[in-house]
Amino acid sequence: MASIPNLNTLGGGRRGHRLRGGRGTTPTHEDATADSVERGRDQVVQQTDHDASSSRMSAVALGYLDDPYARTFFGHDTEIPKRYPIINRGTYVRTKAIDRLVKQFLDVRPTQKKQIVSLGAGSDTRFFRLVDESSASNLHLVYHELDFEANVNRKRTTLRQSAELSRLLKSGGDRGLTYHLHALDLRDLAVKSPPEIPSLDPQLPTLLISECCLCYLPHETAAAVLDYFSMHIPGSMALVLYEPIRPFDAFGKTMVTNLASRGIHLQTLKRYSTLEAQQGRLRLAGLSDGQAARDVLQLYDDDDWMAPEERERIEKLEWLDEVEEWQLLASHYCVAWGWRGEAFGEAWASRGGSSSIRNIQMI
Amino acid sequence: MSDLDKAIAQLRACRPIPEIQVRELCYKARELLIEEGNVVTVDAPVTICGDIHGQFHDLMELFRVGGDVPDTNYLFMGDFVDRGFYSLESFLLLLCLKVRYPDRITLIRGNHESRQITTVYGFYDECLRKYGSANVWRYCCEVFDYLALGALVIGAATELEPTDAPFADPSHATTVSEGDEVEVELLNSAGHIVTRHVRDRYIGQSSQLSNPPSSPSQTREQTPSRNGAPGTGATGSSHGSSGNGGGAVLCVHGGLSPLIDSIDKIRLLDRKQEVPHEGAMCDLLWSDPDEIEGWGLSPRGAGFLFGADIVKCFNHKNDLSLICRAHQLVMEGFKEMFQNTIVTVWSAPNYCYRCGNIAAILELGEDGSNAGYAPRSNGDVERSHGASNGVLTERMDKLKGPGRRYRVFEAAPQDSRGMPAKKPVADYFL
Repeated sequence: MASIPNLNTLGGGRRGHRLRGGRGTTPTHEDATADSVERGRDQVVQQTDHDASSSRMSAVALGYLDDPYARTFFGHDTEIPKRYPIINRGTYVRTKAIDRLVKQFLDVRPTQKKQIVSLGAGSDTRFFRLVDESSASNLHLVYHELDFEANVNRKRTTLRQSAELSRLLKSGGDRGLTYHLHALDLRDLAVKSPPEIPSLDPQLPTLLISECCLCYLPHETAAAVLDYFSMHIPGSMALVLYEPIRPFDAFGKTMVTNLASRGIHLQTLKRYSTLEAQQGRLRLAGLSDGQAARDVLQLYDDDDWMAPEERERIEKLEWLDEVEEWQLLASHYCVAWGWRGEAFGEAWASRGGSSSIRNIQMI
Repeated sequence: MSDLDKAIAQLRACRPIPEIQVRELCYKARELLIEEGNVVTVDAPVTICGDIHGQFHDLMELFRVGGDVPDTNYLFMGDFVDRGFYSLESFLLLLCLKVRYPDRITLIRGNHESRQITTVYGFYDECLRKYGSANVWRYCCEVFDYLALGALVIGAATELEPTDAPFADPSHATTVSEGDEVEVELLNSAGHIVTRHVRDRYIGQSSQLSNPPSSPSQTREQTPSRNGAPGTGATGSSHGSSGNGGGAVLCVHGGLSPLIDSIDKIRLLDRKQEVPHEGAMCDLLWSDPDEIEGWGLSPRGAGFLFGADIVKCFNHKNDLSLICRAHQLVMEGFKEMFQNTIVTVWSAPNYCYRCGNIAAILELGEDGSNAGYAPRSNGDVERSHGASNGVLTERMDKLKGPGRRYRVFEAAPQDSRGMPAKKPVADYFL
């Protein structure tokens, strides 16, 4: 398991003092105040992972998702939180849609070694599920997870303490599925001379995943992070995004206000406010071979994404009375994906994905 | 000050009353409700309200906008509990008011007034948190079983007494000419008129004119053209005469049921039970109108969807001019459908502190010319058979609806509510 224990010291130290409260230098009083404000904001963003992890746990406990590792990362002794049916359903759709895009990528050209980079991965379980699912295949995969140091430390502790996960990492490693957990503030990739991410193989077809991650950054920084990968990986590359959209209607405005009152600022939301804007952003990021975007409501209602019998199954799990609210909530989140290179074209252009021309009707 | 008045004062301050008092209150309420039929008759004037969902501070705002009990006669169409943080205070206050002023407030059952639903959507947890045991939840659920399933409003005026309130936007101001009937008014929470719609006088003469606009936003362009010279409406047909029979207004939480074709059939149900998963009682609390023909499956997993044809047929057979229901979140607070034969009223602004919607209440005035009593025809079936002419049938089919005054309001300001004591839930995906 390769890792970067302290990447901030590598990157010229522009933000080197932030996470460690100015250790090593003596900050002026003003610096300290601005520093603590920013540190507070960072903490709020880091804690969004707990929300995601709780929601995942709730959806797993009720049978929406099958994920044996959700409990391990959530904590065996922690009481399973109760989430409303619409949150469970949304968590389900989000997970399934991204799983599917990932699977299509991994299934195409099965002998080719591939790479996945999960931005702000937090307590995500996808790699461990992939190791389970690929036991019969000869999948070769390099899997990177990037997150704040605090989140990475928590995950590392869980990995160390769980015999099951340690075993899984080893058996995966033996089969050619390697896992790298990096403590890295994504903003450090946006500076002039950014650090190298150890073990990132620029020659492999690479899929970036951002589940509610880039949206917390200023849009210039978010774009610079994508540029970083675009420059380092000359070949096939793709990005799958899961983000809120439509901040300008009544529900969207309330969402922005409510999250702001919790200290959560969705900094790219207004810029990438529609499915079309999300696709345009992917195009501009150099993922020029194809882009598509669907909101969660579309994904849920589309038989191609959600088999009717599967929809029927999950509608039986809980009595969902909040139909109008579901439609509101689900139409304010989207999955967007864009790519360049043949591997992704083969994976996505035919089924479920779409070319740039076809996806106009999805807006 | 009686104990009941003290309890009311305490609940108005959003403070729960002791468990022992809840038990007594619920006992009294049950004694009162057991005497009510499945369909309560309510005389206009009445102010009809939709879902509240434990949004206590918004309920206070509703009373501010609509007037206090007992000054205003209220009809609440269920879903008092769940979702909001103050289901307990909201429901107990309404129940106290019911016991204190039984003739000035009517409560009917919503689909959330159920044991099963309240364990999923928050009321059960709230009771447990606030009292440390499920006793209060149990007392309340016993009351739920006795709530009426519907209400029939009679004696509603077919036209509104025009308010002398100013227009919110003077450029939309319309004056009411003699002979004009004000059919719909939309007022904001300051009591200013947003729009006013004058009833089409030639109702029934051509299919075009017999379709009044279905939403207030459409009336904006039309109303100014009605400012004819005074007197042009001197021969205007029907207004004011009681014999013209505005029909009654049926209020239910959800809607219709394929098993119910008359109001009398609702009266025959055995309602004193937990809301069943299917059947007529379930449908009345769960169904939704939809742009379909006939009946359809509901995405809620209970109740049905029903189309305009079902509503028209039901209204005709039962001498109704309007069905008033709640149950569905509508962003504008209310929504009239199917040529104003059914309306959804939603009274929880910024539902779940998240949806950003506005809320509405519906005021029906009293038909003064008729001493509050609307004559009800008995021979309705023959009547429609007798009319062979298509246009005539159209006219006869649709009773003149009541004049409708909607008051819309937004969520109570944050400073009035304080922050919810509860830790915020993951309302969004992060």
